[in-house]
Amino acid sequence: MLDPAQPYARRSSVRLPQLAWIFLRLGAFAFGGLGSTLALVQRDLVDKRGLIAARDVSDALAYTKPLPGSTGVQLVAFLGWRLHGWPGVLLASLSFITPAAVLMIAAAAATAALPDTPWVTSALVGLQTAVVGLLASAMWRLARSEANTIDLRVVLLLALGAGFFVSAALVVISAGVIGILTTRFGRQ
Amino acid sequence: MLELVLRFLLVGTIAFGGGQAALPLVERIAVAETSWLSPQDFAVAVGLAYATPGPVLILAAYVGFRVSGVLGGVAATLAVFAIPVVLAGFAAHLVTRFQQARWFVAFGRYAGAAAIGLLGVTLTSLALPVIEIHPALLAPAALILFADQRGLPPVLLILIATVAGALVGLTQ
Repeated sequence: MLDPAQPYARRSSVRLPQLAWIFLRLGAFAFGGLGSTLALVQRDLVDKRGLIAARDVSDALAYTKPLPGSTGVQLVAFLGWRLHGWPGVLLASLSFITPAAVLMIAAAAATAALPDTPWVTSALVGLQTAVVGLLASAMWRLARSEANTIDLRVVLLLALGAGFFVSAALVVISAGVIGILTTRFGRQ
Repeated sequence: MLELVLRFLLVGTIAFGGGQAALPLVERIAVAETSWLSPQDFAVAVGLAYATPGPVLILAAYVGFRVSGVLGGVAATLAVFAIPVVLAGFAAHLVTRFQQARWFVAFGRYAGAAAIGLLGVTLTSLALPVIEIHPALLAPAALILFADQRGLPPVLLILIATVAGALVGLTQ
């Protein structure tokens, strides 16, 4: 465990309002998920402002990847801690999700109020079609990068089969327990 | 409202494998188990979640709004990110200890792989209504898959597909 008193080179060198503004902008421009969030963090916080080191970013990615939840937000929370401790965590993640949350609530209100005309219906079919393609693409990409052993591919396929009959939470948790059991078994 | 918050807290807690891998969990709770959203509405919500900046799980804001207005949108958003954010804060705080928790890493890898498998279930439930409208729509879907693999931005692809849809609608 790190000594909490250990001085972080850049910790608290940024004031909270500035931190909020940095992550609010990041949240407004990080289109396209984790990849673009990483690219923007690298460009803005590491290269341009020098607030954090590339090492902080790779640490953040390595240690939040195994945790449950949206990795992009967790990356931001982790960096928030390095910059300003717990207040940094809360402020950075809240600022980061605010633009998207505002847009989504507005979109939910707007789509509920859409007129039922043929062109609107057919535009939404276009959107649905795009989502099918994008989701298939995301699944393919994730399967290749995350399920990179035979064991994990078997788990993936079993989960796919089981998912049609059992609750998703149960499938995910059972798979995790199998992971613990087989890993311990392999080490003995 | 309480149910909404509890369900999204659960999604955040078991979302191993990141936000996209958690889409099936949201689909289960919002469409299959509660009918808060219709399958079509869910597909639109996922499209918008891809089109907006930031995390895909911002989908929670959409579902929350549909259940109980602006307050529901805010509550569901906070609920889905609360536990992951706190965990990330602790991870930053206790970096070396987490590195040693190999059982936790093993749990996460397997749970993550399962979550990716579950994406197939979600994909099926989103593709079926599209096929029902017209099986030929699978061709543009495949084209978008291909374009996304080649690195074209998803926002652009969504925009093109939506405008193309509207144009087809106008000519009919």
